[in-house]
Amino acid sequence: MTKASATRAYDPWPEGVQPSVPIEGYTNTWTHTPSQPAFKRPVTRTDTTGPAELWRKLVCGDNNLAASRTGKLAQGLLMQVSGRILDEDGRPVPGAIVELWQANAAGRYTHALDQRAAPLDPNFLGHGRVRSDENGAYSFLTIKPGAYPVPVKDTWWRPPHIHFSVLGPSTLSRLVTQMYFPGDPLNDWDRILNSVGDEGARKRLVATQIHPAEVGVDHLGFRHDIVLRGRNATPEA
Amino acid sequence: MPTPAQPRHIPLSQHTIGPFFPADFFQPGDNDLTRLSADAAPTTQGTPFLLTGTVRKEGGEPVANAILELWQADAAGRFRHPDDPEGDRADPDFLGWGRAWSTAEGAYSFRSIRPGSYAENGRMRAPHLNIIVMGIGLMRNAETTLFFPENAQANAADPVLSVLPEDLRHLLVLRDLGKADGVQTYGFDILLRGPRGQETPFFES
Ligand SMILES: [Fe+3]
Repeated sequence: MTKASATRAYDPWPEGVQPSVPIEGYTNTWTHTPSQPAFKRPVTRTDTTGPAELWRKLVCGDNNLAASRTGKLAQGLLMQVSGRILDEDGRPVPGAIVELWQANAAGRYTHALDQRAAPLDPNFLGHGRVRSDENGAYSFLTIKPGAYPVPVKDTWWRPPHIHFSVLGPSTLSRLVTQMYFPGDPLNDWDRILNSVGDEGARKRLVATQIHPAEVGVDHLGFRHDIVLRGRNATPEA
Repeated sequence: MPTPAQPRHIPLSQHTIGPFFPADFFQPGDNDLTRLSADAAPTTQGTPFLLTGTVRKEGGEPVANAILELWQADAAGRFRHPDDPEGDRADPDFLGWGRAWSTAEGAYSFRSIRPGSYAENGRMRAPHLNIIVMGIGLMRNAETTLFFPENAQANAADPVLSVLPEDLRHLLVLRDLGKADGVQTYGFDILLRGPRGQETPFFES
């Protein structure tokens, strides 16, 4: 632990990176989003610090979501998602807790509330918790999630996506976000993805597919870096 | 002192969108900050307290399955983190972090120890608890800071609480609920959306 370092300054979120709320067609944002603007406060060390050794409280599992406790592979396209957790200056964030959850290949969550008429996969739970290594890197093996509809009057579908919750080194770098897949036509109609006004920021929510020649025959590969904060931040979602 | 209950309710949302967490992510003890991990002995520093409350949305309806994360200093006002000049003297048995989950009735609870105050840039931060609320319908984390009712003088001088117009400050002060089994209990109800004067004030994150 270095001594007597000053409270680090954090850049404010640039225009258009945070989602614009409430969102048309996402009913809950109209009843849950605060109506009053958030207050600007002086940043003190309570905001720039965070729990050391959080993995002792939030125990991390293995990074294979595709092979379940039953020992059988989940249905769907096997893929590996890997990337780095980075701070606002592009420095790797080691020891970050990365929680992720996703629908199965048919677009259904293993979740008591998701009662949509799409098949459940007994061999797929669809969530995990991993820890970034000393280079800020994380990876997990899973299957590509399916799309699912949002049952409102003007129906829209959530494109295939993976939810991420990242606990980094400070309160100010706490991030909940989603990862999308390149080239999916549903991306253009997704009201959550498009609530991010800045085009460059939106693109940072979309993973990059790795050339199969680099990955091999076992699974597809996607790369997705997550920037917790700053001008190159991965938007919240 | 009893461990605050965390019934494992499922989310009650009209759609399965938004950042809601799998039930498996919550483990008993996640909302108990007095223990660094589930199998650790409780910290010996500081005075324990219990915090209970509800999360509500527009119209005062309860919010089920909201995720609340609490971050605070140790009993001496230190954070075990490189940004704290006294971080290496912080309580090694205190992580300072916990997570709670609201029930179908919107209820949540934490157990922790009273944080100390600390000086920064020549000003004193009053003892405080940082809370982040996440969940369905919240595209951005809602962050706020709670203060203790006994510290009126320190609260009045706090550089963050002072940011609020005077008539809203009381909204961030815990309610004294007296003692339960000898442990001081506080109440704090979070209203995510409501009229000014009732809605919980949140800070830019
Ligand atoms: Fe989803």
